[in-house]
Amino acid sequence: MTGVWILAENLETGRELITIGRTLADNIKSDLTVITWQSELSQEYIAYGADKVLLLPALPQDQPLQSYIPVIAEQARQDMPEIFLLTSSLLGKEMAARIAGQLNAGLGSECTALRWIESEAALEMDRLFYGGAAVQSIRCSHAPRMATVAPRSYSPASRQEDKRGTIDELPAPQPSPVKLLERNARSQAAGDISEAKVVVCIGRGFMKQDDLDLARQLAEALGGEIACTRPISQDMGWLPEDLCIGLSAKKVKPDLYIGLGVSGQIQHLTGIRDARIIVAVNQDASAPIFAAADYGIVGDLYEVVPRLMQALSK
Amino acid sequence: MPDILCCYKWVADEAYIRSGSGGDLDLSMADYKISDYDKNAIEEAVLLAEQHGGTAAVITVGLPDDTKGIKDALSRGPEKAYFINDPAFVDLEPAQTASLLAAAIASPIPYDIIICGEGSSDLYAQQVGPRLAEKLGIPCLCYVQKVELNGSELIAHRKSDEGLEVVKVSLPVLLTVVPDINNPRLPGLRDTLAAGKKPVVEFTAEDLPSIDTAALATTATKAATIKRNSRLFDADAAGIEELVQELKNSGAIA
Ligand SMILES: Cc1cc2nc3c(=O)[nH]c(=O)nc-3n(C[C@H](O)[C@H](O)[C@H](O)COP(=O)(O)OP(=O)(O)OC[C@H]3O[C@@H](n4cnc5c(N)ncnc54)[C@H](O)[C@@H]3O)c2cc1C
Ligand SMILES: Nc1ncnc2c1ncn2[C@@H]1O[C@H](COP(=O)(O)O)[C@@H](O)[C@H]1O
Repeated sequence: MTGVWILAENLETGRELITIGRTLADNIKSDLTVITWQSELSQEYIAYGADKVLLLPALPQDQPLQSYIPVIAEQARQDMPEIFLLTSSLLGKEMAARIAGQLNAGLGSECTALRWIESEAALEMDRLFYGGAAVQSIRCSHAPRMATVAPRSYSPASRQEDKRGTIDELPAPQPSPVKLLERNARSQAAGDISEAKVVVCIGRGFMKQDDLDLARQLAEALGGEIACTRPISQDMGWLPEDLCIGLSAKKVKPDLYIGLGVSGQIQHLTGIRDARIIVAVNQDASAPIFAAADYGIVGDLYEVVPRLMQALSK
Repeated sequence: MPDILCCYKWVADEAYIRSGSGGDLDLSMADYKISDYDKNAIEEAVLLAEQHGGTAAVITVGLPDDTKGIKDALSRGPEKAYFINDPAFVDLEPAQTASLLAAAIASPIPYDIIICGEGSSDLYAQQVGPRLAEKLGIPCLCYVQKVELNGSELIAHRKSDEGLEVVKVSLPVLLTVVPDINNPRLPGLRDTLAAGKKPVVEFTAEDLPSIDTAALATTATKAATIKRNSRLFDADAAGIEELVQELKNSGAIA
């Protein structure tokens, strides 16, 4: 049996996984292994706390990253890590589910906290369900205990200058039946909504893309960032996805959140739970966002926002 | 002419969730619905069958009472339903659901393409689809937002963490789809009536190998509904000035 494994997709989430991975490895008095396909980061992961790095060889151009799944699953079958953590990115969630499927392993998806329960030799995981309207704690007591961990659940591990570790190479995967034809990077948003003090959130109450300037001006007047609900980024494609707030997107914790034409379904509210003050502008008095807001205005956002700008300029 | 099989889940509607005494999860008021994104999965199965002259069927694992869901699913266009049900199928974990689906499909149920939702509305584990693909030993493409089918070759546009990937694969394949892939049709009265006449093939626990014991034990569930003291202000200039003053007083804005 080997100790704790983590799959690091990049340095940022990799360091977060190292933080919790290291804690769990110490709990079970075992070591921490990082799996990566980025050879240039192997030494980095050791410096950040890995005892061992398993390096996946580079893939041919036409192979998607998912091609690594059989190699990782096979190695896990041989080494049987006690705990295996991945980040809950799109890739991490898919890889985790498919590896767990091959190994018949228990897997907690998108966990926000992990604990070792010594008496049961169990990994306890906290996660949201019912769109965020409920939380559950689940325990898994058979190796490999698997979890995907929500980004930002743990602070990134810091560098230790004298840390030593070993690097081993994993075998190259068989060619995947899935061929990659094209890869297009999505446009990135300029600001980072997870750090913003003020967030003005755009919902389906906006009638057309040009009207988003109204929200931009308000955000600017308040020194904040704009954000949106999932239909605005996904269905309408009006804003990049990294501006979307909610269960399947980003969680924010600003001092002030203003929702404009946002209905306030639980999957969205889950992302603003930690906002200090929530203001809602919606023309429908029965919209669920009002129950979740500190302050509300029942009215047409096209009338309310200009008045709000005026009141702010005074 | 592809056979397309869509997996959907019948779930408690989260909009009816209440926080019971002591903060526990109260589902007693809940209505049930087809898991939101599974409506897109059903629609895509039906669209592909319509475009390519194939068949679309649905398959679900649930309790014997969940027949309302079957009718709802069939009213959205599929020709046939496979209903894996047993009173013991309470709170199954994704691994168990995937095993049951795999066993029924191996019985066999014909398929060239299996379509799942991105994640279920209740668990949102995003596991059943990929686990099912591994059990069946077929390729899996997740987070698909567009599908092109040319004979036995499928090209999918799928969401990735960096943006978008276009990938190609030969059938059979399992897809999980995101909601922007289509706009599910709203069934009319005629569709609902027709649904009642469509064939439903049942599987019970006895027809299938016994399910794996659960790997996960639930130790706590709590409602996490969000409730704040919503104070309303008028939408006129005076009301809005009052709100701005209040925000200044609370330190939310300078
Ligand atoms: C598994 C799952 C995950 C999800 N994840 C997310 C997520 O991460 N983030 C997310 O946001 N959603 C998510 N959703 C979707 C979520 O359930 C809602 O559908 C979505 O948040 C609704 O967005 P909205 O409020 O912009 O649109 P709508 O619900 O359509 O609301 C628009 C609102 O605007 C109001 N309005 C219309 N015109 C005006 C006007 N002129 N002035 C003022 N108000 C007006 C209307 O009264 C209405 O309340 C998820 C759903 C599922 C099933
Ligand atoms: N009980 C079930 N019966 C049939 N399909 C299911 C069931 N549960 C989940 N699925 C499918 O698997 C997808 C992902 O579910 P989950 O892993 O629970 O997020 C859903 O969108 C459905 O397509």
